[in-house]
Amino acid sequence: MMNVYVCVGSSCHLKGSYDIINLMKEQIASHGLEDKVNLAAAFCLGKCTDGDGVSIKVEDEIVGGVNPANFNEIFKTYILDRV
Amino acid sequence: MNDLCVDSGYRSLLKYGEELCGDSVQEIRGENTFLLVLADGLGSGVKANILSTLTSKILATMVENDMSVEECVATIAATLPVCQKRGVAYSTFTIIHITNNDEAEIIQYDNPMVIMLRDGKSYDYPTIMKTVEGKKIYETKIKVKQDDVFIAMSDGAIYAGVEQVLNYGWQRENIVDFAEANYDYRNTAKIITSMILEQCALLYNDKPGDDTTVATVQVRKRKPANLMIGPPKDPNDVKKMMASFFAKEGRHIVCGGTTSTLAAEYLGKPLITDIDYIDPDIPPTAKIEGVDLVTEGVLTISRVLEYATNYLENNERYQEWSVKKDGASQIARLLFREATDINFYVGRAMNPAHQNPNLPINFNIKMRIVERLAEALKQMGKTINVCYF
Repeated sequence: MMNVYVCVGSSCHLKGSYDIINLMKEQIASHGLEDKVNLAAAFCLGKCTDGDGVSIKVEDEIVGGVNPANFNEIFKTYILDRV
Repeated sequence: MNDLCVDSGYRSLLKYGEELCGDSVQEIRGENTFLLVLADGLGSGVKANILSTLTSKILATMVENDMSVEECVATIAATLPVCQKRGVAYSTFTIIHITNNDEAEIIQYDNPMVIMLRDGKSYDYPTIMKTVEGKKIYETKIKVKQDDVFIAMSDGAIYAGVEQVLNYGWQRENIVDFAEANYDYRNTAKIITSMILEQCALLYNDKPGDDTTVATVQVRKRKPANLMIGPPKDPNDVKKMMASFFAKEGRHIVCGGTTSTLAAEYLGKPLITDIDYIDPDIPPTAKIEGVDLVTEGVLTISRVLEYATNYLENNERYQEWSVKKDGASQIARLLFREATDINFYVGRAMNPAHQNPNLPINFNIKMRIVERLAEALKQMGKTINVCYF
């Protein structure tokens, strides 16, 4: 099981956590990964200043600056290709 | 001192077409006393407003200084300006005076009689009639118990609906039935007032034929709540802040991502964040064993402040926060409805990531929101204590 966290701290929330969570849910469902990926939220991952977007954590690696424009690419690199 | 306290809330509807209310309410909270005076001035508009303001201010000041009813009434009779049209100086009044949270004194002159609920049922309290300066004054002295409710009103309340939807208006006994039917020991005085007043507005078809005021006073058990927001300025103070916070009796609310992470570490329990947004504008809540509520910080608290400001105005957003499950609504329910004494633990660490001018969450904004929330809660009649770390 791969653990994926989306930051919902104040700063990330304002940069679009709500949309990123919905995109995550859609992508996990469309690739049928419900049994392989455990999606959860996290309070502040401490990378509030990293780039224009939301911080996510895949296992122990934090990826900053996730936004709807780069979402598919990040999803593929960090999640789809690794599960 | 017992473990009871007095909770109050009042509101008025203006006579249709008027800009000033002819009813006035004055409230004075002392160390061990609570005093509320509701006055209804003769007529409406400016004249009535002046009469009722003078009456309620004079009475509040005099009763607070232990003057007798006779002296109070004589002073009012001698002070009020005489209406040229009607040749009289007149304002009705109701005084509710609670001392040491255990005895109530009620003095009534010409307003509808105060409705008292005990254990949610109408209670027939004893009255003694006195004639002072030709006026019939009703006096009551009664020992109060936890959850006793006193509802005072101006006559606009019992005339609601006259010649509109009802022939004789909404009589006092109908208001008694309504108050009993809607009784819930968790309701605050403000909520009881709003429910009755909204019913009046409905009966008046939103065009009140008279100024209508409802003032509720209730005796509640003290319920402390503690809210922590922000890590301390000096990281060495984390343990001190947490120890003091968690040693406090009552509910514990932790706000802020970093703050809740520190609280979870202190308690040695995991921090589990919910992923589902109930309100897209309010970040999800989280759970830590041993903490009643864990939420995000500044955005959630600013929504709570919006609800608090609205609660003090007309409480229209009660429908939102009384039922929703997002963090802000949950905090609103705990602080506005349940708590009587609230301790704020405010950490002054600056989150460098929040100092971005494009984000509405910088340090100064956060501190101001907390101050304004504490002020609003004070206006709701709660005892507030703020500690900075």
